[in-house]
Amino acid sequence: MTNLPFREPSLPRLRPLRAALAAVAVACTVAACSPVSEGGGGTGSGGNQSAGQDSFGTPADPATVRDGGNLVIALSAEPDALDPTLSRSLYSRYVFQAMCQKLYDVDEKAQVVPQLATALPTTSSDGKSVTIPLRENVRFADGTQFDSAAVKATIERHLSNARSARKSELGPVAGVDTPDARTVVIRLQQPFAPLVGALADRAGMIMSPKALKTLGDDFASAPVCVGPFKFAKRVPQNSIEVVRDPNFYDASKVHLDGITWRILSDASIRAANLRSGDAQVADSVSTQDVGALQQDSALTVLQSQSLGYQGLTFNIGNVDGVGAAPKTIDRPIAQNAKIRQAFEHAIDRKALVQAVFNGIHAEACSPISPASPFSSPEAQNCPTHDPAKAKQLLTEAGVKTPYPVTILASNTPDTLRLVQALQAMVKEGGFDLKINPVEYSSLLDEQDRGNFELLQLGWSGRIDPDANITNFVGTRASQNVAGYSNPQLDDLLTQARQTSDIEERKKLYGQAVTLLQQDDALIYLYRQRNLTAFSNKIQGLQVFPDGVIRAAFAGFTK
Amino acid sequence: MARYLITRAWQSALTLLLSTIVVFLGVRALPGDPALALAGEDRSPEALEAIRHHYGLDQPLPLQFVRYVGRAAQGDFGESIRTGIPVSSMLTTALPVTVELAILAILLAAALGVGAGVLAAVRRGHPAEWLANGLALVGLSVPHFWLALLAILYLSVATGLFPASGFVPLLDNPVDNLHHLILPAVILGTGLAAIIMRQTRSAMLDSLSSDYVRTAKAKGLRPRAVITHHALRNSLIVVVTIVGLQLGGLISGAVVTEQIFGLPGFGKMTIDAVFQRDYPVIQAVVLLTATAYIVINFLVDLLYSVIDPRIRVTGDPA
Repeated sequence: MTNLPFREPSLPRLRPLRAALAAVAVACTVAACSPVSEGGGGTGSGGNQSAGQDSFGTPADPATVRDGGNLVIALSAEPDALDPTLSRSLYSRYVFQAMCQKLYDVDEKAQVVPQLATALPTTSSDGKSVTIPLRENVRFADGTQFDSAAVKATIERHLSNARSARKSELGPVAGVDTPDARTVVIRLQQPFAPLVGALADRAGMIMSPKALKTLGDDFASAPVCVGPFKFAKRVPQNSIEVVRDPNFYDASKVHLDGITWRILSDASIRAANLRSGDAQVADSVSTQDVGALQQDSALTVLQSQSLGYQGLTFNIGNVDGVGAAPKTIDRPIAQNAKIRQAFEHAIDRKALVQAVFNGIHAEACSPISPASPFSSPEAQNCPTHDPAKAKQLLTEAGVKTPYPVTILASNTPDTLRLVQALQAMVKEGGFDLKINPVEYSSLLDEQDRGNFELLQLGWSGRIDPDANITNFVGTRASQNVAGYSNPQLDDLLTQARQTSDIEERKKLYGQAVTLLQQDDALIYLYRQRNLTAFSNKIQGLQVFPDGVIRAAFAGFTK
Repeated sequence: MARYLITRAWQSALTLLLSTIVVFLGVRALPGDPALALAGEDRSPEALEAIRHHYGLDQPLPLQFVRYVGRAAQGDFGESIRTGIPVSSMLTTALPVTVELAILAILLAAALGVGAGVLAAVRRGHPAEWLANGLALVGLSVPHFWLALLAILYLSVATGLFPASGFVPLLDNPVDNLHHLILPAVILGTGLAAIIMRQTRSAMLDSLSSDYVRTAKAKGLRPRAVITHHALRNSLIVVVTIVGLQLGGLISGAVVTEQIFGLPGFGKMTIDAVFQRDYPVIQAVVLLTATAYIVINFLVDLLYSVIDPRIRVTGDPA
């Protein structure tokens, strides 16, 4: 993959950054060019698509959109604190998208594009210094000037706040320099490819230093950033409202007077609100409802493959809790990789996705999307569905069949249907799967403590592949709930994180996937699609591969 | 009367203290960790520690309890672990919604239930009684959530008569406020209306066959006056008791109704807080509910004496 999917062809030759940017490019791939399902794939720019095809929506046409109106978006879960430093919920990103612009953004092909920066960053030859040029004449919603000092204040807050959710994303950032008001230089302790991916997410959202000074830890009570809209009101557990910001540098592109996110956790209620016109947009449409909504000529359904995955995790060494040194667990399935491989051979992913999700989600066998520039035949190698082989492996492992396994899973209807289908499936391969459904918060607790044999959970995905792998399988990594440790894998992942060469990263990730499939501590099952439905009275609504609903430049049709 | 009030007051205070302890320990006995629930996907041991420290969850339980009670006594319930918003401000926003919804539901239920109950008793054996009984049966048997979904489907999606979700504060726009609340209130009130109808009917039947009603009729009073001034007034004692007892049911019903109609009330706040293990919010909500129960029971006792002067409240409740 020699052609990097970035808009600026004449980048200075600054190697780590290229790697970082290339990392970001994965997403392109994931969504824009990904023929994941048979005969499907490709992109669509709008309109209703059949299952398996991506459609991201199109920008609003100024000639056919009227100014004014309040857009209501039915949201499936409540965002947490509206503070870019503290926010941990994916849903907060939907709200931030309208009121907190970032240094960089991703477009529908998941290419990194400048937002508050004027160009892609340049990196020094040793890879330890990243320079970012900033926009001029930009003001925060409180009227104060946006400049390099604001960027410095924001990044330093990300790094120093005790509850910061951004610190780990910023990796080895050592400090920030501001040679002038329009230039920011980020110093790194070592080259760090995933940095730009982070700056195209919440770590790159710049907060008003004045508001930070006044509000401190209460910034979320009245957040102030640069954005098309500014914060107006929040009714806890119910709604969040933003109104048009006259200070925004590109205010002429904004059509709506305001946006309201209304939290409606039930998918059928969201669909009903969409149909009744009480909401114009609904996120996380259920795969069960997609067909009916696509039939409705007044509605459009956007869909794109997510960057994450859903999988099964075996507990093979988590005794003292996540992050602690792995210990031996006295269970054959924890000690013998053959039994876990047998389990994987017993799974028919295609049938599973078809039966449970109407074929809308895509099969997945590794954390790397098939269309990624980092993908390789090794990374896409998929253990076949072979119940006979599963039984043979169980015999080789010397265990009695049916081999009993208990799976811990969330008690949501979708997950239950998934694990019930799995239960029927693996029986043929010689497994007796028992289901232990628990409520989500309890599930998180049990998984971190290591109180499980097998569990079903997923990851929403990030634009850099490192963020989708290392934290989950690296030795003692913060989310390695399997208690898995393979020093050879750790080496590969560290090299991939630091190298600038895409071919090299590709090769390293291919080797990593081979190791992952040999050890089978984590079995990847499928990749979700982001499903968003909206009324045809709205134009310009877009959902890119990062899954964020982009409504800031949408408008009502004239 | 004064002695009775004092006795009831200290009993109430004791109940309140006990419920505070039970709730405090109860939420902590739930499996699940609020720090984990808050951390979501981006969790690291350091972040979890920082969250626990910030909310004082790393302190010994007795210390946490003393701090909680001390602050709660001053009206400070801490801040929501999920959103960082002060719980007292969340309560101020949520309470009026649920109170308004409950009052509206009770009014609708009482009007419907008492009316249908009186009709069923007076027109005994007539089609009107069968109809009232049939409706009561439906009201009692059909679950709220199903009725709410049907209402949204037919009265919001198909006809657009009522909004499917949302809320407008009463002071902002009273008409819009009613428009948003009427459907949830009707749904919430159906079960209560059925119960009131059945109780009114049986109490009315008792009253209508009693001596004082016969005397009233013998005095030559018009049937309407006999029913409203004599029979119904006595029957209402039972109704008031039932409404008091059913308030708990109404609040639990509000949890479901608010969730379905997306109303920013107490019920929705409770259910979300439980799922997110938001200890400060759960504690405040339960404490407030317990207080409401105690106060309502007390008021119901007092109402007896207002409706029926024969009931004399003494210092000895036995």
